[in-house]
Amino acid sequence: MASTPISASARIQHRVRTEPFWVRMTLLSVAFAFLLGFLFLPLTVVFVQAFSKGWSVYIEALSEPNALLAARLTLLTALIAVPLNLVFGVAAAWSIAKFEFKGKSLLITLIDLPFSVSPVVSGLIYVLMFGLQGWLGPWLQAHDIKLIFAVPGIVLATLFVTFPFVARELIPLMQSQGTEEEEAALVLGASGWQIFWHVTLPNIRWGLLYGVILCNARAMGEFGAVSVVSGHIRGLTNTLPLHVEILYNEYNSAAAFAVASLLASLALVTLALKSFFEWHLKEDATLTESPS
Amino acid sequence: MSISIHNIQKSFGAFKALSNVNLQIEGGELVALLGPSGCGKTTLLRIIAGLETPDAGQILFEGEDATERDVRERGVGFVFQHYALFRHMTVFENIAFGLRVRPKSLRPKEDEIQQRVHTLLDLVQLDFLANRYPPQLSGGQRQRIALARALAVEPKVLLLDEPFGALDAKVRKELRRWLRRLHDELHVTSVFVTHDQEEALEVADRVVVLNHGKVEQIGTPEDVYDHPATPFVYQFLGDVNLFHGRVQEGHARIGEAEVALPLGTESHESAIFFARPHEIDILRESPGASALSATIIDIRPLGATVRIELDREDGQGLIEVEMVRDHYQRIALKEGEAVFLQPKRLRVFGEHELQ
Repeated sequence: MASTPISASARIQHRVRTEPFWVRMTLLSVAFAFLLGFLFLPLTVVFVQAFSKGWSVYIEALSEPNALLAARLTLLTALIAVPLNLVFGVAAAWSIAKFEFKGKSLLITLIDLPFSVSPVVSGLIYVLMFGLQGWLGPWLQAHDIKLIFAVPGIVLATLFVTFPFVARELIPLMQSQGTEEEEAALVLGASGWQIFWHVTLPNIRWGLLYGVILCNARAMGEFGAVSVVSGHIRGLTNTLPLHVEILYNEYNSAAAFAVASLLASLALVTLALKSFFEWHLKEDATLTESPS
Repeated sequence: MSISIHNIQKSFGAFKALSNVNLQIEGGELVALLGPSGCGKTTLLRIIAGLETPDAGQILFEGEDATERDVRERGVGFVFQHYALFRHMTVFENIAFGLRVRPKSLRPKEDEIQQRVHTLLDLVQLDFLANRYPPQLSGGQRQRIALARALAVEPKVLLLDEPFGALDAKVRKELRRWLRRLHDELHVTSVFVTHDQEEALEVADRVVVLNHGKVEQIGTPEDVYDHPATPFVYQFLGDVNLFHGRVQEGHARIGEAEVALPLGTESHESAIFFARPHEIDILRESPGASALSATIIDIRPLGATVRIELDREDGQGLIEVEMVRDHYQRIALKEGEAVFLQPKRLRVFGEHELQ
């Protein structure tokens, strides 16, 4: 009962501050119509098409050897690229947020580079460097190392493209948290490793998971850069996105959509995890902002 | 533990944070570093802690050079302005942290840690909060937990950066008295930074007044308040009225008025005079040449005292006078009234003392 007058006055204040009803409705309808037309419908189409020839065709498309090999390669790529980018992202964010050094802005720009370059171009860079006609091509061939049109090339391209996700997520979070807690731990006698493990990491864990899940989604879904370096060798250098393209080009649309539905499901799981982490992340952020 | 600070210099780029700071802190003392923001007081505190390195100069702990000593080996406790409690640890774990991170050979046993932390929680009277998290505490509680955490490692020096800065007025007053009592119990050498002169005067054994990276004065609270060494200290330690004039034959000449100064005051062609608001009398009748005429423009009762603002007749600016309420009611002053001002006490700074 005691809270009634407060919430009533809050409601009135709320009403005073908002736009007229029709403005809100128009904005909301536009936003929802857009989401419906450009995101929800295509997603539905993927699943409808995937099951258009029945459950058995769907299962067969996924359990066919080439599809399984493509899935295996995709998982392998993510398994290498994500942990490496996790380590790199934490190291970069730590140094940028907690220390002052020369070339800091250059480092921030470089981290963003993969975002600003078209993935196809990133793939081409690798071909130009490590391909047979590339800079390091003859040396690599002489030592019998095959990067381009092979699995290492795919991993490298994926690493490059997914570079910024973890670092980008952590830098603003760590900057807003400042260095006082680390300094407090230092004065209390903690070593660098103890500070990182007991103070820094617990403070950034939700932001870190958020970055990792986005990084993982991109690593598994990357098409452009991987397409350039892969060479599309079935059963050897095909990832799931490339496999979808091949199936589609062969007019095998039911199978193509079946594999695509796998990627779409991954996207949905990513979204769910993302909002879960985001919710916790907000908690951490409010802890930072709360008057101390 | 005593701390000696010799010729400390520190710059941040082009900004000179500290220039040639010398300071001797005796063991068991409670010293306040007082100054406006940007005066270098926090930098000095961080240099003592080892969180910043000086560009030049020396820090001695108990006579031993500690300038290059690592923060971890200095044996200091530091309380941060915003407490810097570990937000993902309970209050208990926050206080235990300094003990738990010790190398295995020096780490106390678990039941010893338990006992130590609870003793400290009792000391700060917050044992019932052991299992809470920092965001669930009030500002004053966080402050005391931060202090308990700093004390857990049994520091030889306790350093506090604006310890009461983020608290509201009432809690601040309570906490600083509590800190004073705690210091009297523990007798650990303590240095705290503040921009609040009242806080420094009330809590500290000695006050170090800093301005623009330089020490302006070091002394007991009575010393710095009653005998300010520089115009800055005078102005910083409380409200003040400023008069321009000259000193002739032991008299201050301010406009028309001529006020007697203590014996032996040097003559100055131009000088400034300071008088605190409570050091000026308001008179209805002219006492002769020793008073300035002025008009009352505002009267403001502030609890036990009344603050009166007056405009000088000769157009040299406003004067603020403070008197106890009883006296004010007895003489019943009114706004708009023409009166005479007689300084009871003037502090003189000759031109050579002004930069």
